[in-house]
Amino acid sequence: MKRVAIILGLGLTLSVHDGALAQARPDFSGTWRFNQGKSSPGIAGNTPNIPFPSQLVIKQSPTELYVASTSVRQAPLTATYKLDGSKVTVDAPRGISETGEARFDGETVVITTRRSFSSPAGETVVDFKETWSLTGTILTIEKTRIEGGESTTEQAVYDKV
Amino acid sequence: MSTRLAFVTVCLGLLVAGAVPVQAHHSFSATYDGNKPITLRGTVSKLGWSNPHAHIYIDVKGPNGKTVTWEIESAGASNLLRAGIRKEDFVGTEVIVKGFLAKDGTPAANASSFTLVETKKEYVSEEKTTP
Repeated sequence: MKRVAIILGLGLTLSVHDGALAQARPDFSGTWRFNQGKSSPGIAGNTPNIPFPSQLVIKQSPTELYVASTSVRQAPLTATYKLDGSKVTVDAPRGISETGEARFDGETVVITTRRSFSSPAGETVVDFKETWSLTGTILTIEKTRIEGGESTTEQAVYDKV
Repeated sequence: MSTRLAFVTVCLGLLVAGAVPVQAHHSFSATYDGNKPITLRGTVSKLGWSNPHAHIYIDVKGPNGKTVTWEIESAGASNLLRAGIRKEDFVGTEVIVKGFLAKDGTPAANASSFTLVETKKEYVSEEKTTP
């Protein structure tokens, strides 16, 4: 009887702990608009070093992160990432294949994606790593683009709409 | 008579205008795919030293061993000159171009930056260096 009580107690403690962890995670849900003035200069203008969407629509649940990225006159990308880090397929425009994984790392979300498409240079593969952090109504995304042995990192800031 | 002359003049004008190549300052998103970033390494074979965009032609060896000439659109010649790039120093040099693929599938891209391999000096669009 005493053993059963201990096991039940431990189970209860663990479930409460899990719930507390889930609650402690920041919620990225919302509509976010790119703020060029607060972002790094390398992504300004017509030809950014790294493409950042002009708007993000995010819906977060304890297990999933839905992300819809849109840019002016560019085809949108949407994905529903599993927050356990398992690989998902990104709904990308025709001609582009993309997979990605997302997971929480403390109070940040880390999303890694691999995009591939054909070009006159052959099959092109580009890896991206994004680290999202939240400060009030400001979403900051640090993004690294890795391709052909070259890597570039830039930072974008989004304001909550 | 004067109406016919005016009509012929307008038609000739349109024909001439159509025959002259125009270096238009066009929208990035209309021509290039922001979802398709690309990095190319090749040798500059020709320069279109013009404004508002310069066109850099680079020979890139493809995975099948064939060399393909890519047309890279960059900041205009004035901007390149301000960045310290002289036309004479450029042809024959090896460069790494980071940019975005053309939407029409041709070997063309818009450069966000290019690096001279020998000097490792990277040049970016002037828009980015202006605060």
